[in-house]
Amino acid sequence: MLSALLLIPLLGALAVVCWPTKLTSQQAKNVSIVFLVLNFLASLYLLSQFDLSVTGLQFQESVPWLETLGLGYELGIDGLSLPLLIINSLLSLVAVYSSDADMRRPRLYYFLLLIITFAVAGAFVAQNLLLFFIFYELELIPLYLLIAIWGGPQRGYAATKFLIYTALSGILILASFLGLVWLSGASSFDYSATMANGLPWIQQAVLLAALLIGFGIKIPLFPLHTWLPDAHVQASTPISVLLAGVLLKLGTYGLFRFGVCTFSEVWVDLAPYLAWWAVVSVLYGSLAAIAQTDMKKMVAYSSVGHMGYVLLAAASANPLSYVGAVFQMLSHGFISALLFLLVGVVYKKTGTRDLNVLRGLLNPERGLPVIGSAMVLAVMASAGIPGMVGFISEFIVYRGSFVSFAPQTLLCLLGSGLTAVYFLLLVNRAFFGRLASTESQTGVQDPVLPVVTWQDRAPALVLVALLFVFGLSPSWMTRWIEPTTTAMYDAMPVKLDRDRHPAYRTSQLLDAPLGIADASIDVVTCSNGDCAL
Amino acid sequence: MNQTMPAHVKNIHPFAHYVDRLLEGGTLLPDTPDNVLEVMGALDSYGVVLNRYSINLIHIADHQFLNLFPVFKYLDGEINPAKMWQHFCHDRINYEYAEYTMKAMMWHGGGGLDAYLDTDEFRENCQVAIAAKIKFNPMLQIFHRAFPEFLIEQIRQLAYYSGLGQFWRVMSDIFTSLTDRYLRGEIKHIIQIVDHVKDGLVADAARPITYSVDIGGETYDLLPPSAGLTFLPDTAIPYVESIFFRGTPFLGTVSYNAQAQQISPDKSRFAYGALYADPLPVGGSGIPPTLLMQDMFRHLPDYLEAHYLKTDRGLGDVRVKICASFQRSMFCVTNAALIGLLPAGAGATEPEAVAANREFLQGWMDRLAASQLEQVQTP
Amino acid sequence: MMQSLIELSWLIPIYGFLGVLLSLPWSMGLVQRTGPRPAVYINIFMTVLAFLHGTFVFMGIWNVGGVELEIPWLQVADLSLSFDLDLSVLNLGVMELSTGLSLLAQIYGLGYMEKDWALARFFSLLGFFEGAVNGVLLSSSFFLAYFLLETLTLSTYLIVGFWYAQPLVVKAARDAFLTKRVGDILLLMGVLGLASWAGDLHYNEMYEWVKEANLTPLTATLLGLALIAGPTGKCAQFPLHLWLDEAMEGPSPASILRNSVVMTCGAYVLIKLQPIVILSPVALAVLISIGTVTAIGASLVAIAQVDLKRSMSYSTSAYIGMVFIAVGAQWPGVAIGLLFTHAVAKALLFMSIGAVINNSNCQDITELGGIWSRMPATTIAYVLGGAGMVGVLPLGGFWALQLGIDFLRREHPVLAAVFLVVNALTVLNLVRVFRLVFLGDITPKTRRSPEANWLMATPMMILSVFVVLLPFVMMRMALLPPLRYWHPWVFIALVVSGLLGFAIGATLKLNRSLSRSTDRNMRMLQDLLSNDFYTEELYRVTVVFLVRQGSRVVSWFDRYVVDGAVNLVGMASLMGGEGLKYSVSGQSQGYIFTIVAGVTVLGFLMTWAMW
Repeated sequence: MLSALLLIPLLGALAVVCWPTKLTSQQAKNVSIVFLVLNFLASLYLLSQFDLSVTGLQFQESVPWLETLGLGYELGIDGLSLPLLIINSLLSLVAVYSSDADMRRPRLYYFLLLIITFAVAGAFVAQNLLLFFIFYELELIPLYLLIAIWGGPQRGYAATKFLIYTALSGILILASFLGLVWLSGASSFDYSATMANGLPWIQQAVLLAALLIGFGIKIPLFPLHTWLPDAHVQASTPISVLLAGVLLKLGTYGLFRFGVCTFSEVWVDLAPYLAWWAVVSVLYGSLAAIAQTDMKKMVAYSSVGHMGYVLLAAASANPLSYVGAVFQMLSHGFISALLFLLVGVVYKKTGTRDLNVLRGLLNPERGLPVIGSAMVLAVMASAGIPGMVGFISEFIVYRGSFVSFAPQTLLCLLGSGLTAVYFLLLVNRAFFGRLASTESQTGVQDPVLPVVTWQDRAPALVLVALLFVFGLSPSWMTRWIEPTTTAMYDAMPVKLDRDRHPAYRTSQLLDAPLGIADASIDVVTCSNGDCAL
Repeated sequence: MNQTMPAHVKNIHPFAHYVDRLLEGGTLLPDTPDNVLEVMGALDSYGVVLNRYSINLIHIADHQFLNLFPVFKYLDGEINPAKMWQHFCHDRINYEYAEYTMKAMMWHGGGGLDAYLDTDEFRENCQVAIAAKIKFNPMLQIFHRAFPEFLIEQIRQLAYYSGLGQFWRVMSDIFTSLTDRYLRGEIKHIIQIVDHVKDGLVADAARPITYSVDIGGETYDLLPPSAGLTFLPDTAIPYVESIFFRGTPFLGTVSYNAQAQQISPDKSRFAYGALYADPLPVGGSGIPPTLLMQDMFRHLPDYLEAHYLKTDRGLGDVRVKICASFQRSMFCVTNAALIGLLPAGAGATEPEAVAANREFLQGWMDRLAASQLEQVQTP
Repeated sequence: MMQSLIELSWLIPIYGFLGVLLSLPWSMGLVQRTGPRPAVYINIFMTVLAFLHGTFVFMGIWNVGGVELEIPWLQVADLSLSFDLDLSVLNLGVMELSTGLSLLAQIYGLGYMEKDWALARFFSLLGFFEGAVNGVLLSSSFFLAYFLLETLTLSTYLIVGFWYAQPLVVKAARDAFLTKRVGDILLLMGVLGLASWAGDLHYNEMYEWVKEANLTPLTATLLGLALIAGPTGKCAQFPLHLWLDEAMEGPSPASILRNSVVMTCGAYVLIKLQPIVILSPVALAVLISIGTVTAIGASLVAIAQVDLKRSMSYSTSAYIGMVFIAVGAQWPGVAIGLLFTHAVAKALLFMSIGAVINNSNCQDITELGGIWSRMPATTIAYVLGGAGMVGVLPLGGFWALQLGIDFLRREHPVLAAVFLVVNALTVLNLVRVFRLVFLGDITPKTRRSPEANWLMATPMMILSVFVVLLPFVMMRMALLPPLRYWHPWVFIALVVSGLLGFAIGATLKLNRSLSRSTDRNMRMLQDLLSNDFYTEELYRVTVVFLVRQGSRVVSWFDRYVVDGAVNLVGMASLMGGEGLKYSVSGQSQGYIFTIVAGVTVLGFLMTWAMW
């Protein structure tokens, strides 16, 4: 079953590239859409067959491959990968659907897009470290080419930067995996959460550090993020949608599956520092976003900020925060994909993303009113307004992390506040006011923007609907995630223990009696059983 | 925007070329085939809409006299389920715009109608009619005693309903006959449109403006013929002044905040009228002319619709386009009024007469300086 | 029948949202040929439904007592969130009031906005308001209240920003959202604290928890402050009050609701949180201080305003300031009485001034005058609204104020004095505005002032009657204490303070021109008040400055340090100089080659063991 999800996009890619007759851009797009619709339906079928009562892996497939190397074709999914797999199918479809109808070199373009779908799906289902790594690297090349060939004026620079960064990320991850296998003396690369048990603390710490930096580049976390704004700005809209919506999640997914669970002993020791790292990342991304005048760059920096919440939740290491971490990945996937999609439509119609130029796009006759309204909703979702998915995912994150790291959580909350600041600036500048002439129309008294078609709007409206669906009924999302994350938590040999680590003391601002040692007070915060003493 | 140029720089008046153009028999609006098409299309649908506006305003003035709950005032007396359903679906003319125009015209005042409403004679007319109307309504009698201006002010408003209705009756007829001529192929140039409108205005200049209501089978004169109110000086000129030039600030673009002081305390310095309004925000919130543009859109002649369909957005931005075309047509009407009002007549050739005409036109050009006149010069 | 109506009470907040959904075809512009009015009728119909449903439920529980409705929402790990409703007499009473006011404001809005084409959007927003407010008022779960309060922040942004093409509106919408957001974020911190410590976000469970709560004083104080921050922002209290001034750029019908219902809603949540805030005496003291500063300050600022809407909106802040005082002094009954009377009276006042603005195209009170005889409904509405708000016997405001003064004078005589001062200043302001707008000579802008159209006049008259009847309603709802508790000196003090305000207001020399006083000190005071104590400057040099500088520093750091270092490394080692920065797409083959080579080598290394 899982192989089908890999085969369909792969066959699609081959079909596009090997199509016997000449393919116009539109035809290539249609072929890709057919395959991706099939892929999406297949993933929905998977969803319907998913057994919630099983906490471990499901739909497992195992085919021996290169046994000497320990590389096996080991597939399987659980509640962590299932939603990510589905969002990958959905956003791939959205990306292809929203691609320009007249694309240069369409065969190569759609081939690469489908390969990305294939590789990302592979990474989410792979249960062999080496297999995961191969998929993880495989996604890199098409993405590099998509930026380098179809990108903006500075695409060469951005693509190369992206390549170097993620290649570095790959090397670190590979090194960590190799080290893990060799040190633990495992016979193959087949993944199991208990692999690192018994390793000395320092060995685990080094392996985890390599993973952290490796996946930290992909997520991205400050200060490893600088490839992201450039890549986003230079990439075309569908690529940005995929990059923000799915590819960044490979980083958090990898960190969560291979870092948190495997090295839980070290993880909980590092957790307070990781939470501070998340705070820095959140505030840094948010503050940097405020200063941007390019809409796309602003959204890109907001990604840096919002992905920081995932780290915060992962660091907090309790059952609730784990659900929050996964939920936040998905909600960020929806919201950032939508934001990039909308910025893309604005760019396509106005020819600019400069907030100093754009004005009054809400004009109902000559502007982009529906796109503008969707934009208002999207930024509000991102700023955590209830009713949309951003609120409840962040709420679960905060509520989960608050019991572990109150000060860090409160500081991250400021990031939510800053999100409102920059996105409000964006909406107010670009969408409110009198419609302004853009550069290509200087001197024109009454600017006329090209017509926005329903084809431009449809994917955005679908995503807006999903924002509300999961925002109003979050249990439709959490029910898939929770069994797995709870099992993961239960499987952790070491839990986050509030008194074990001296660094933890710093985070007791709120419940530590100032000056006087009064042990009874500490009980209050833990009375609901959250801190798993 | 009402600055007057010092005498010695008049020859370098920035708008002097428009004056020259008008004196040489030209028009404010350039004579191009597209302009003729747009102006004719706009006036065509405007004529249809004005007809409905006029009928309704007069209906309200005559049949909703001092009705404090005029729930069905837009139904023109035809109260049946089908029509009510149509109104419920908002599948109707936006009579609110006619009332909005009426209120703006009344608020700005000017002309004989406005002056007459403040006379004792009018007050007495009102008292008689009020007494008859509220004879069996003790509640209103108390109100009338406690707030003596209340019902009189209502009747002043009704007088404007009627006055504007009568004015638009004439304008609608002018535009309808113009359309007929256009469809017969007689209209090829802007100047012909201007002349047609001017002739229409001149022909009806002295048409009396009167208003009387029927209460209990008896007729009460409120604006009696003896008041001597006539079409051109008492409705047309105040209308042009208050609607074309002054207007009222749109909530959608101007702040009413007193501290921001965006609105002049002096009504005569208002420049929010039809000749000044920016067409681009039309269709948005807080822009009342959108209602008129919607009404015209629903009665758009095929040739104008076909013309619009040739542009980038087709009918997607049709209200903005209609507004721009409408503005062009209103410059033609203004043009006609200016020519008609020339102190020394249109065809004058003696230097002194020409100078007087020039003086007159330059005075108006000062006011048009901030209008959309420059914008309508380009296609 | 009654039982099923009660069980279906969860629909009451839903009606408003349903109206929004059903209006989508018009508000999204899908319907082009016909106008937006069906959306208006749908929303009004939904409000009527909510009102009727509420009335039946109200009658149903009148004798049997409150009912709790359980609506679970989300259960994850140890987090359990629910949208439970508490159908008590008081909750339903306030809900009915808000729905009724919302209905009247919508009918009024149909008259006021008749020349606006974006009616569908406007009424959708009003419907959204109504739904969210009803949900907050009926909630028995603080989580639901928080959830909806935040959506109210969004709808405030959208409704203030309704005329989005007007520059000041753009600024006002932004400021309203961000200021409220500050309060919301702090409130969220409080919610998180409560959720973690109390474990349950139902009011009743939290009240139980408070009894045995064992927080350090610092924690309790921070929690208390976080909890009052939200209502402070929502209710435009110092220092988060400036947005209300700016929000007056929005349409008048929305201003009616904002100054009555939405304020009530924010303060109502505060009243419900009061038993938790008492954990911290500091927070209570802060609450009282905020209330006092706002009540006195805003009353003074109101007197210096020349803008009709703003002079009324500041008085709203002042009244809610008194509600804050009452809550801080732990007299929730007083707070509810004040909220109730203020909401009705202020709604009526805003309807009245909206009618004036609609007629005169002017909000500047120095340019208005002499309209009383021409606009009776408007004048009556203003007089009754004003009288119902301040201490005029026997209207509602009198009873609410005298109750407050009576209770406060025993423990906090100073606060009782604050009530009297606010009463005097409010009377002064109302009389001042009345003289300028309704009395005096006709001005050019009020020369033709026919009474507002029937859609505006009818709600005004209905609400005027209700203001007169309000004391009876309060009596029925047991918001007034029995007669024997009424103290004559309180009566006299209240009446005297009102008379004093009236006397000053009636004799004050009113200047119709905008000229400022010649006396330097007087001029400074005038400027200080008319500029709202320069609060905007205060924001500018504090929060705005911090955020702006922070973002500048970070952006600089990002560009020159983080990215700079990367580029330096890149230039030096990998690509050799300019290659990285200025590569063009023509070189892409080169890159592909590089990658392919790299992957091959990598693959070779990985499979090396096999060979």
